[in-house]
Amino acid sequence: MAGPSTSGGVLESLSNDLAGAVERAGQSVVAINARRRIPASGVHWRPGIIVAAHHTIQREEEITVSLADGSTVAATLAGRDPTTDLAVLKADQAKVPVASFADGSGVRVGALVLALGRPGSAVTASLGVISTVGGEWRTWHGGNIDRFVRLDISIYDGFSGGPLVDASGRVLGLNTSGLSRGAALAIPVATVNRVVDQLVKSGRVARGYLGLGMQAVRLPTALAERLSLPNDIGLMVVSAEPGGPGDRAGILIGDVLVAVGDTAVADPGELLGFLGGDQIGKTVTTRIIRAGESTNVTITIGERPQRSQESRRRR
Amino acid sequence: MITEPLARELDELASLLRLSTVEVHTHGTGAGSGIIWNDKGLIVTNAHVARTERATVVLSDGRAFDGVVSAHDPRRDLATIAIQPAGIALPAATIGHPTDLRTGDVVLALGHPLGIAGALAFGVVHAIETRRGAPRWIRADIRLAPGNSGGPLADARGRVVGVNTLIAGGLGVAVPTTTVLRFLADVEARRAKSGNRAA
Repeated sequence: MAGPSTSGGVLESLSNDLAGAVERAGQSVVAINARRRIPASGVHWRPGIIVAAHHTIQREEEITVSLADGSTVAATLAGRDPTTDLAVLKADQAKVPVASFADGSGVRVGALVLALGRPGSAVTASLGVISTVGGEWRTWHGGNIDRFVRLDISIYDGFSGGPLVDASGRVLGLNTSGLSRGAALAIPVATVNRVVDQLVKSGRVARGYLGLGMQAVRLPTALAERLSLPNDIGLMVVSAEPGGPGDRAGILIGDVLVAVGDTAVADPGELLGFLGGDQIGKTVTTRIIRAGESTNVTITIGERPQRSQESRRRR
Repeated sequence: MITEPLARELDELASLLRLSTVEVHTHGTGAGSGIIWNDKGLIVTNAHVARTERATVVLSDGRAFDGVVSAHDPRRDLATIAIQPAGIALPAATIGHPTDLRTGDVVLALGHPLGIAGALAFGVVHAIETRRGAPRWIRADIRLAPGNSGGPLADARGRVVGVNTLIAGGLGVAVPTTTVLRFLADVEARRAKSGNRAA
């Protein structure tokens, strides 16, 4: 048993472990000069490939990346996926180590974690715990994320785009405050890998598109019964992109969408989830209510145009 | 289990730091904190805590002393208060080495946040801001509040590495003890100079 310990104690070991984790993992944390005021954080994910948070990359040209070894190299934007808040940059001259990754088993509630960043020349750290781990979820913009990982950790400048690391300095995910009203979330390694693969290959993450803005509405019970609808909620079309897939198929503002194929739809999120990249070019029969009557409309699913850069200001 | 020895160590370190942390009262405004720098009665605190010529210093055991603000440097936000402990050796803080601190290192703060006496806070070093290679500010991911000002920021062994000075963007910002030593040396040099002139 240790005596009255002010030296060589458990706290000092913990301190050494955490500082060691920061030192090791910090080698692959970079500063990205692509916005005003302060640089954004990023992670050297694969050789020459840097991952960042989409919402922090506000400039698409003349991007440079400052590395742990003190050098600054040029980088180009390979692509961005606003639906998962990820951006990928190419920096062939980056000679610093790539991140080392933990397997997914380290992502559990209560795990002691560090959020690293590099909003300037030096690496920064904050300490916290994983507070929630949930299943697969879909973001507001329709991106699929393998696990819901919420953190109890302070958000400082440079938080988004920095890595979430365990006490050994292995990366558990990429941090962002841009996906859930400013809450601290981590995007799991598996999701980042999937998006990186797509962005490196084609510069974008393709998603299906109807070109329709919709809102959930409750239908009169009598109408739902008369038309034997699966439920009394439908999606009312409130806007139609001129020349878009829905418009070309003859969908009008005011139509109420109740089913796509054989599946009832009652939530715009469900529809977004259905419109994965694999649906592009496919034809679906939709059931709509127009003027109190049920009609089938066939739509050829298009590809969602790339959204222009949003200038949301989050850390 | 690591948590049981960890809790015991934190308890021990908190007790140790509490002994060498004082409350600093000036007229009117709330209390700040201070660090017993040596056993002869030298207290180090922030300049913004000791704005008046005199201050009352309260030890952790409740004993109160009238003190004289003997040096005041608003630029470094540091001040000293001299008290006369009347033959009692005060429990002075152990001073550490801010230059050895690394980002991620565990740090502890002791003080009187919002008037709560002797409160412990736990965190890590967020960043160390340097100027010409020397630490200038220690930024810590730690929860501080008004009343922590002038109190110690200590390393995992309870050695004081900084004087908690302000809260910026949710971070605790401390003046490193290396700066305190320079401040005390400047005060000493000025005193010797004026002493020579008087002689």
